[in-house]
Amino acid sequence: MDIAFIIDALPRLLPGLWLTIQLSLVGLALAAMIGLPLGILRAELERGFLKGLIDGYVFIVRGTPILVQVYAAFFLLPMAGLKLSPFWTGIVALAFNSAGYQVEIARAAMRSIEKGQWEGAAALGLKRWSALRLVVLPQAFPRMLPALANEASNLVKASSVLSVIAVFELHKSANAIISQSFKFLEMLAAQAVLYIAFVVVLTQLAAWLERRTTGKINRGAEFLR
Amino acid sequence: MLKIAPDMAAALWMTVRISVLAVIASVALGAMLTALRMMGGRLGHGAVVGFVEFTRGVPPLVHISIVYFLLPEFGLVLSEFWTGVLALSLVGAGYTVEIFRGAIDSLGRGQTDAARALGLSSLQTFFLVLLPQAARRSLPPLTNELANVVKASSLLSVISLNELTKVANDLIFMHFVVIEVLIQLTLLYLLIVGALMATSRWLEARLQT
Repeated sequence: MDIAFIIDALPRLLPGLWLTIQLSLVGLALAAMIGLPLGILRAELERGFLKGLIDGYVFIVRGTPILVQVYAAFFLLPMAGLKLSPFWTGIVALAFNSAGYQVEIARAAMRSIEKGQWEGAAALGLKRWSALRLVVLPQAFPRMLPALANEASNLVKASSVLSVIAVFELHKSANAIISQSFKFLEMLAAQAVLYIAFVVVLTQLAAWLERRTTGKINRGAEFLR
Repeated sequence: MLKIAPDMAAALWMTVRISVLAVIASVALGAMLTALRMMGGRLGHGAVVGFVEFTRGVPPLVHISIVYFLLPEFGLVLSEFWTGVLALSLVGAGYTVEIFRGAIDSLGRGQTDAARALGLSSLQTFFLVLLPQAARRSLPPLTNELANVVKASSLLSVISLNELTKVANDLIFMHFVVIEVLIQLTLLYLLIVGALMATSRWLEARLQT
């Protein structure tokens, strides 16, 4: 393997990594803003139009490839009069995809909180909204974190698909270098290392956040005792 | 709608063939790698853990590039079809190993002890005692992962394999019928993934007895 070539190529590879980081983080934040509230809401719904709507959305997101969703955003957004740059088209597709998975994550975590927590909060005179904010969510959120970390790493990997709509993220940058230099092994190894490094940083971050948030809950329980 | 139907049907058949082969290979390879992880000594264990970390940390698109670009360098020239099957199987196997391992860990030590006490070798213990029980428990997460394999087959469009997504994209540029094609495409994927889920549920019900 030609290590010197990899070092020479880094100035062209790192902007790709930076774009991948931006796509992933903005996509994740946007998806969390849509998906988590929808999931929390969905945990409350037993039947009705809204439940069907959310379930239908989740079904479509989970049943079709991300590539199809990217093409859908690429072709449909301009038809709807929204002419976005490839970067923002990509963000829309990633957020649409990830939010669907995050609905399920939030719903499962909310359902895993025992009914007694709601009842206890109600017995203490808390309104439903306050019970959600002060009692249930602080317990549900740490339970979402491992699944959210998984989803975050899926999102990073999914961002590679945006290469097909000419977003020059990591995979596209590496491919561009390959097609000029034919250094397959070097560029494949370099991008694999960079992807793994970014995914590891994200999972460590989530583990740290999980330790911190569960720590707080345990301290709270200690205080109550 | 009608003029694109024959092309879409041919592409659907391609996606189904690739998906079925890759799903079977993922499970078989995943089972073998799990055995290697548990019984292959330190070297086997380390190799499988490294493989799993790699497959889970790198996008499927990069796996496809690796198989597509690197194998010919070593003199192994595969058609696009088999390149696709191999790449998808490698990704699927990496995730399947983790699912099988989790399920086997949840079985408890007694199963292994009893099997060894009956005189089964460690290979027999794994394939005759642990794996059948683990398979039942891992069916729900396994189904999810196999659905991911089916969806990842769409990525093979980048190596110009004429599967659903590639053909749909070509049709859009050929006929400028965006919405019809996207709706058909979505429905066909939902159909394939739905069939997989239904098979899994049927299998789960059968294995319960």
